[in-house]
Amino acid sequence: MTNHWIDYKNSDVILVIGANPAENHPMSMKWIHRAQEERGAKLIVVDPRYSRTCASADIVGHIRPGTDIAFINGLMNYAIENKKYHYEYLLNYTNASYLVRDDYAYLDGEFTGLQKINGKEVYDRSTWKYQTDSDGKPLKDLTLEHPRSVFQLLKKHVERYDIDTVCQVTGCSRDIYETIARTYCSTGLPGKAGNIIYAMGVTQHTVGSQNVRALAILQLLLGNMGIAGGGVNAQRGECNVQGSTDMAMLFHLVPGYMGVPRDHLHPTLADYNMKETPSSGYWSNKPKFFVSLLKAFYGDNATAANDFGYDYFPKSDNKDHSHQSIIADIDKEIIKGVILWGQNPVVGGPNTNFTINAFKKLDWMVAVDLFETESASFWKAPGVNPQEVDTEVFLLPAASVYEKEGSVTNSGRWIQWRYQAIEPIGECKSDLWLVDRLFNEIRELYAAEGGAYPDPILKMNWNYGGSFEKKPDVKKVALEINGYDVATGKGITTFGALKDDGSTACGCWIYAGYFADPEDPACKRRELEAPGGLGLHSKYAYAWPINRRILYNRCSADPQGKPWDASRALFSYELGQWKNLDVPDFNATLAPEASGANPFIMTAEGVGRLFSDSVGDGPFPEHFEPVESPVKNIFNKRDHNPIANIWRDDFSRLIEKGDPNFPIIATTMRVCEHYQSGVMTRNLPSLVELMPEMFVEISHELAEDYNIKPGDMVYISSPRGQIRVKAMITSRIKPLTIMGGKHHFISLPWHWGYSGLSIGESANKLVPNVGDANTSIPESKAFMCNIRKA
Amino acid sequence: MLIDITKCIGCRSCQVACKSWNGLDNETTSFTNDITNPPQMSAKTYTVVNFIETRLHDKPIWRFIKRMCMHCTDPACASACFAKAITKRESGAVVYDKTTCVGCRYCMLACPWWIPKYEWDSVFPAVKKCRFCIDLLEHGKEPACATACPSAIKFGDREEMLALAKKRIAKNPDKYVQHIYGEHEAGGTNVLYLSDVPFTSLGLPAVSSEPLPKLTWDALAKVPYLAGGVGLTMTAMYLFTHRKNAVAEAQREKIIDKAGE
Repeated sequence: MTNHWIDYKNSDVILVIGANPAENHPMSMKWIHRAQEERGAKLIVVDPRYSRTCASADIVGHIRPGTDIAFINGLMNYAIENKKYHYEYLLNYTNASYLVRDDYAYLDGEFTGLQKINGKEVYDRSTWKYQTDSDGKPLKDLTLEHPRSVFQLLKKHVERYDIDTVCQVTGCSRDIYETIARTYCSTGLPGKAGNIIYAMGVTQHTVGSQNVRALAILQLLLGNMGIAGGGVNAQRGECNVQGSTDMAMLFHLVPGYMGVPRDHLHPTLADYNMKETPSSGYWSNKPKFFVSLLKAFYGDNATAANDFGYDYFPKSDNKDHSHQSIIADIDKEIIKGVILWGQNPVVGGPNTNFTINAFKKLDWMVAVDLFETESASFWKAPGVNPQEVDTEVFLLPAASVYEKEGSVTNSGRWIQWRYQAIEPIGECKSDLWLVDRLFNEIRELYAAEGGAYPDPILKMNWNYGGSFEKKPDVKKVALEINGYDVATGKGITTFGALKDDGSTACGCWIYAGYFADPEDPACKRRELEAPGGLGLHSKYAYAWPINRRILYNRCSADPQGKPWDASRALFSYELGQWKNLDVPDFNATLAPEASGANPFIMTAEGVGRLFSDSVGDGPFPEHFEPVESPVKNIFNKRDHNPIANIWRDDFSRLIEKGDPNFPIIATTMRVCEHYQSGVMTRNLPSLVELMPEMFVEISHELAEDYNIKPGDMVYISSPRGQIRVKAMITSRIKPLTIMGGKHHFISLPWHWGYSGLSIGESANKLVPNVGDANTSIPESKAFMCNIRKA
Repeated sequence: MLIDITKCIGCRSCQVACKSWNGLDNETTSFTNDITNPPQMSAKTYTVVNFIETRLHDKPIWRFIKRMCMHCTDPACASACFAKAITKRESGAVVYDKTTCVGCRYCMLACPWWIPKYEWDSVFPAVKKCRFCIDLLEHGKEPACATACPSAIKFGDREEMLALAKKRIAKNPDKYVQHIYGEHEAGGTNVLYLSDVPFTSLGLPAVSSEPLPKLTWDALAKVPYLAGGVGLTMTAMYLFTHRKNAVAEAQREKIIDKAGE
């Protein structure tokens, strides 16, 4: 999130799209309701189905799964056509005035630079750049009228998204769409705050990254970034997803959102620093963060002479190693063993039949979890003969949250310490104990037996004082993540102190300051005061970076330092001085005009990007149909995202457009009572009582067409598999009218699997192996299927 | 307790918190088409959130209503109880005491909301219903459901809650139904509801504003000896329907199993 949970109470209009906070983030509704009650805020919910969140909404818009870009580009078009955008913000804080190279173009679903490499289409992004002067500085047109200005290009790009076409494609009714457009775009007025909340309904698409880009561009147009009550707010799917991404639980990153070193691009530290460090913006400090990371990893073994141990650091190749690729590599027997640490791909990943078949080829599997998951017991899945499975499975019992201590980082980037309440039951161990033992045992083996290249293990800085009997010291780990001065061992309080000469070590630069004093760390603070009434709570926990509660917050005031809205002022410049409520995301020692020219310090150009080369599938979002969709794309000739990641293999057969055998649109969802793949919740009697069985939500119209009664068993099938579940017939789902044709649509919760207290079929069995062009996240929110009465 | 239906998100934290604090067993439930589960209150379930699909301004909407003991200011169940097993406490909680109960189940008949439930399956049965978490109240704390609720429940002095409810209606007169359910029903209750849809569409019956004991006691006081007979008839009815349901369930499962093959 750019903002944080409590900040929802400061919004004038809240747009929830592809999220269901009432069911998946119930506590957030407290702040949404407060905005409604105390500010008269309007809640807009855009969702294919009527969710529990819709019950609290002032306006509900239903759209077809996979048409978010059409919907949002239409809002941009509405804002531009009706001059609802925040002109002064746009001019000063975004790249609207920047001129784009003459050789950049968009034509009929393709941006310039599309090419085929090894049979796969990719973009060469070299034309997606600004025109520059002789010093390399971008050229601008402050009238925003130059035809090559970002603003004019954006205007031209979205003008095709008129209300009629958008409603034809999305299935949203015209009067509702107009009401939503009018209501949400009212936040373009200076001093108004619009908040966009999203979750997996936006990301789990082949255009997932562009969906998020569209939301960000809309927020920039309306001047909603960097202000209280505004922002682009991703509601993460678990209490610590934010923390795990910060710590690089992704194959292409190392901690603190730095790119993973690649063997072909970065053979030396100098290559990495040169190629990965921009010349301007705050990221120009990257070598300090990266060298400090190496120093944290290798301690005394990281010296200037050995490039701080850069050769020990693992390097990635040029391939995709996301979830779906890992399963495919297991299937190809490239990967022989896996450790599933709190992961349950047999329920949680796409195409679960394929996943089970792939797992059968493993030599070994280690599963660390609270219960025996479906993945740990894949060898006894329905239809699998255990005698034919040679995989050796080790099940390690993990301690639950109450049985261990450590920090979690919530969606609003607040790092909070959680204390241990009780000792783990039975033989359960904390994750830290398990990983510490694993590493030390492996290191002992390397020390005793050697190996091809033992140095990365033997030279690792790993001294947390743990043994089989003794818990490792979690404070030592926390201090290492926080960062410390190598000479004194004292924790640093800001990443501004980090150096690229080996005098500092830091495991995750953005976390600097959260645990500087291990005896009294900032993340344990629990003071409730909130001066200014905006709910910033700066002395409660610690928000990265450097306790800043709202990112890009220079944008909350005009270039002269006057807040757009005095009642929601985060900063104001008075009598030659800044008055601060939040931690400035700018240099507060300078005059306001200076920081006002550089309000987005993390971008090289210092302003927000309406046009960007940072996402691989285009500088502007463009509507593409889901890979499996019942209709043709009427916005351009390319049907689906040209560079979507699609596994075209026998194991993932796709449904062709118009296939009469699979005429029904499907999406997946979560319910309040269950959590993720259900490992915890399907084993808790109190939650199983509330939501005992797997089901499918279908409309009364579909039920009538297919002669289905409430509670009937139905088969739902795709070429990937078939599930048998109970039918829930409800008026909360309606058939969609798309370009004049009626299309049935169903929604499936994905929590169930074949083991535990409550068992049921997995919705993910039906989901194809197709992924977003940038992240490879599976397109589980829009695919095709069939239904018949069992 | 003020329950604002327009703020209820149907998360059912209240149901879980209630069972947890009161040490109530979980019921073995199965799929329900409307999500409500367990389908109704029982001796093991003091509170249930009912999920109701209805309409507002000619648009389909979904509402969630937490049902529980209304904790009447002048409770009919207490006055119907000649054994004084149900009493109204100073805090406003209407509380049952098993030790003095004779098992007549008159309270069940007296309640206009059918709240008190009986442990039909128990050898030494008791009447069961929400206690307003009297143990928590006596320690200056709120009932477990109110503590767990992220959004819809406010707990406090009845007059305060009525004032808050009136304030909300006054602030949003177009949104709310101009009525606080429980302000006058049955002479007034300690559980109050606010809603944007008619209360009857949420399953809350129209109840006279006359305190019910006044109506019931005159009649019921004359026939306490009948109570045993009523109780026996109810037990017989329960056993009969219970068996009927069990047979029906077994047959249905057989059919489903066959379909599965």
